[in-house]
Amino acid sequence: MRLEIKNITKRFKQKTAVNDFSMVIDANECVGLIGPNGAGKSTLIQIIADILNADKGEILLDGQKISSIKNQIGYLPQYPNFFSWMTAFETLSFMGTLSGIAKSELQKEIPLLLEKVGLGKEANSHVGTFSGGMKQRLGIAQALLHKPALMIMDEPVSALDPIGRREVLNLLKGIKKETTVLISTHILSDAEEICERFVMIKNGHKIEDATKSELLKRHQESAIFIMIRKADYQWLTMLEHLPYVKKIESCGNGFKIHVENLETDANRLIQHGLDSKVMFTKFEVGIQDNLEEIFLELVV
Amino acid sequence: MNAFMALSKKEVQQMAREYKILWLPIVFILLGLTQPIMMYYLPVILQSAGGIEGITIDPTMAKPVGQEVLASTLNSQFDQLGIIILVVATMSIIQGEKANGMMAFILTRPVSISSYLNSKIIIHYILAVICIALGYWVSYGYSAYLFTTVPVPQAMWALAFYCVWLLFIITFVTMMSTFFNSPAFIALISIVSLLICRFVAGLHPFIDIINPASNSMYATSMLMSGDVDSWVGINIVVTLLLVVLMMITMQSFIAKKKF
Repeated sequence: MRLEIKNITKRFKQKTAVNDFSMVIDANECVGLIGPNGAGKSTLIQIIADILNADKGEILLDGQKISSIKNQIGYLPQYPNFFSWMTAFETLSFMGTLSGIAKSELQKEIPLLLEKVGLGKEANSHVGTFSGGMKQRLGIAQALLHKPALMIMDEPVSALDPIGRREVLNLLKGIKKETTVLISTHILSDAEEICERFVMIKNGHKIEDATKSELLKRHQESAIFIMIRKADYQWLTMLEHLPYVKKIESCGNGFKIHVENLETDANRLIQHGLDSKVMFTKFEVGIQDNLEEIFLELVV
Repeated sequence: MNAFMALSKKEVQQMAREYKILWLPIVFILLGLTQPIMMYYLPVILQSAGGIEGITIDPTMAKPVGQEVLASTLNSQFDQLGIIILVVATMSIIQGEKANGMMAFILTRPVSISSYLNSKIIIHYILAVICIALGYWVSYGYSAYLFTTVPVPQAMWALAFYCVWLLFIITFVTMMSTFFNSPAFIALISIVSLLICRFVAGLHPFIDIINPASNSMYATSMLMSGDVDSWVGINIVVTLLLVVLMMITMQSFIAKKKF
């Protein structure tokens, strides 16, 4: 399902949480909504899930208002809360009935689903005894139960341990093939694993919207990373005087050499080094920041 | 309809797990017991508990009839302590689920606000009616045993009038629970408003028409005289209209997501 978010603005008393935010998510796309704490992620997610009303703008799912097709949406809140006196099975059965699933189908589906999210043995335990991670899993099961066409998840894996994270990420990889998925997170490596596209939000504004490769390309530095033996450090002083070298900075065990044109200058540089009998232990053209660094660069 | 049934079932289960389904009827049975027993033994208690100097208990004093006892069960037990207990038992009906986010969560499913609200009000109303009826019939039994028997149709009609007032009580508390976030405040404002309604009943004929608490008064006069004002029909209609109005208000309040 195609999700259109059009010029959403939401103001709380003094603060504008989301400011003129627009984006389109195509069917079966998996998008990561990334931003620091307090950027407006949860507010936006809650507006999409029809929990909060936007002051301005509208949200359309395949051209329809979201409130009329709630059945198509699976929503996982940041801190899923359930009735502590219900068992895991009862919880899913309750939420499933509200979504209009037949009883016989629920009897069949729920045990499978609980097994899938790793709660197979806890089906008859009360939710009140569950840990935060277990509640999160139950929340995910609840969001999957009615096989929605759009999944909206607010920090789905932030509360889980590494094993749980892995399980849930694998689960999401499975469902994203036939489902439009929107995930909010401040942990990039999670988003990196399942999402193809990232939307970064800061102070309620959209500051970046790109696929992973675009993002990496855009933030590529025209610099060359070299590692050489200590004996050859003298060569670096010669480099500084070369016309095409802009800057040399020390970086870890090696050096970053900023040049004007990456490809031609890399050749010239390595030739110069060989001529000067320099022994390279490492030579890397084009330094890519990882997403984490790009993220920091963008939001700080 | 399916969602309404699921929500109602959940309400009943929740009441059972919280033992509300047990203690609330017991409290009202005790309340119903108190009035006839107290009225029967009060002269004896006063006499034996000393302090009778200067007080003479008129031995020729007419023994109250069953009707009077039953009416005072409604007036001085159910309409006072009863209201307070009922308010406290229902105050977090919406507020609790507002606070822990369950209401918003439930409403992300294809559930209409009206079926959410109706399931709550109807189930709590049914419980309240059961409690009041149990207490009332216990009181009826003791009045008949210790005093005189009240004709059953008369008693039934009185209970029916009282249940109209009860519907207003439950809906009003639910509305307060929708509007406010502090349980203490909800309890306070509900108790004060409902008791004021009850005390004002009977002061002025015009106020009586729009006052839902008049239904409680009609219940009393039904018991005492077997007959009620001709205004009663209008009053019941006005009360039901108020209930509908409150439901619409709650619904639009939740729809605007002001909670």
